[in-house]
Amino acid sequence: MKRLKIVALTAVLSFVASVVSVKAQDAAEGEQIFKNNCAACHATSDEVLVGPGLKGISGRRPIDWIVKWVHNPQAVIASGDKYAVDLYNKYNKAQMTAYPNLSEAQIKGVIAYIDAQAAPVAAAATGAAPATGAAPAEGSSNGGMMQYIMIALLLVMVLVLVALLSIVSSLSKLANVSPDSPEAQQIPLFQRIAENGKKIATNSAFKTGAALLITLLIGKATIDAAYGVGIHQGYAPEQPIQFSHKLHAGQYQINCNYCHTGVYKGKGANIPSANICMNCHNAIKRESPEIQKIYRSLEKDEPIQWVRVHNLPDLAYFNHAQHTNVGGLECTNCHGEIAKMEVVQQRSTLTMGWCIDCHRKTDVNAKGNAYYDKLVELHNKDHKETLKVQNIGGLECSKCHY
Amino acid sequence: MTNNKIMFTNKTKSLFLSSVVVLSMASCGDKHNDPGTEFAANMYHSVGYEPLSQTEGDTNHINPYGMNMRLPVKGTVPRQYYEQAIKKDSIDGDLLQMDLVARNIKSGDMASSEALLTNPFEPTEANIEAGKLQYERYCIHCHGEAGKGDGAVAKIYKGVPVYSSDALKNLNDGHIYHTITHGKGRMWAHGSQISSADRWKIVLYVHQLQQAP
Repeated sequence: MKRLKIVALTAVLSFVASVVSVKAQDAAEGEQIFKNNCAACHATSDEVLVGPGLKGISGRRPIDWIVKWVHNPQAVIASGDKYAVDLYNKYNKAQMTAYPNLSEAQIKGVIAYIDAQAAPVAAAATGAAPATGAAPAEGSSNGGMMQYIMIALLLVMVLVLVALLSIVSSLSKLANVSPDSPEAQQIPLFQRIAENGKKIATNSAFKTGAALLITLLIGKATIDAAYGVGIHQGYAPEQPIQFSHKLHAGQYQINCNYCHTGVYKGKGANIPSANICMNCHNAIKRESPEIQKIYRSLEKDEPIQWVRVHNLPDLAYFNHAQHTNVGGLECTNCHGEIAKMEVVQQRSTLTMGWCIDCHRKTDVNAKGNAYYDKLVELHNKDHKETLKVQNIGGLECSKCHY
Repeated sequence: MTNNKIMFTNKTKSLFLSSVVVLSMASCGDKHNDPGTEFAANMYHSVGYEPLSQTEGDTNHINPYGMNMRLPVKGTVPRQYYEQAIKKDSIDGDLLQMDLVARNIKSGDMASSEALLTNPFEPTEANIEAGKLQYERYCIHCHGEAGKGDGAVAKIYKGVPVYSSDALKNLNDGHIYHTITHGKGRMWAHGSQISSADRWKIVLYVHQLQQAP
């Protein structure tokens, strides 16, 4: 069977090759030329990238016309050739780059490569189908998550039940009635619990213990709540558009700076305006309802109201550029692994203790920065340890509070 | 004795109840959407107009949508290097001169950019290295590490060219600068994101990639 396929394939290939009457090595050179010069705008399939897909071009147009077109598309359009003018108008009047240096043989090689690509296209297409089919399944992963949570909850409930039952049995033991004795067996479970509970409630040691435990629990809850005032750690607000940093910064490896344009230059990192989204989303995922929110915002000239996640109190001054550009810190240093977050969450506490701790530990990034040369020199005269941020005023109140 | 006992159980009951209430309040609630309690809000929220501040209650009443930022007036040119521009031999001066020329070139006028613009930065090692850094921040996800149009985004965006291809390998400073600033073909304008100095440094690095095999 396999052999039959191969025979069929070679038959097709040789047929194609004989039609264009170009040798296989020309097709190999053609591949090189195509990938370097044409692939940016043309696919070898039917797919339209910038210009038309070139599948079956050898059948569509005569070779003389193709050569003339590649050498100087503008001249062909100017000559009033109907096919050329229609093509030009159909593709938004985008002028194809002229390649006057490509010889006729080279152009034929490219065509041979395109025709050779057309043959195995069917196999490639069936291979690609499941990959595209897998994309929507990813969206339903939230439902899967819910299931896990439900199962976990059920497990916890079962554990609680087991714990309660064991408490009941130990209480029965405390009450000196053997739970296995016939009289104990006859009393219903809840009555036993109530009776044993009454007995235990009169035990003064138990009463004191319980009172102490409850007071401690309330005390701890109060202190925790008090310490949590003004700390937004774990804050992960829902955004107007379900933007995924995991996808953009993680999978597609787009640098933080591409959208957060101020992060190396200014105090704030900046939230990108819609035109930056459009640099890619003019073409990518245009049908998605989330992406169409960008289009709507642009059409109405209304800003997208993203919800700010990191709200440093106004009483403390913070500057991104000083930390990223001068200090050379990575974004993840303070923001956590953004590239793995579906929804961005505030990972660090952003408390003063957290800032100070880092200023105590971190060396000044003095390498290649002439500003620090004399400071380092002076510091090294008296100290064995390297120059830390705290040594250049990183703990001064007025550095951040003024 | 019995009286005493009842009183105590009542106490324990109330203690127990209150602890349950406190614990449930501490554990439940929409944590993801709630930043939590703030103390002394007047020290937390800026009185001055911070560019990206977002506080309920005291939004900006002058600007549309309560934003603190405004677009620059149409047709104006930022002149942050104005003083240096007077001194002739400074890079900032050269940069500003070139900037003034570039800003007068319309987005469709590639020919003028090719003819009039030259890179104010010398192709020194430090400048090319700086250009590489900016290239890695702004370009690499589409154009790829070596400018072969094979970045992670290019696979789905499509139509990203190879710098060293016959059509692109000889493009000059002005052409590349114009492309970054105003876009070309499928690429959209990146002038609003990248400062002109950084754009010129990227041009230096792209020249290097054009010559790569």
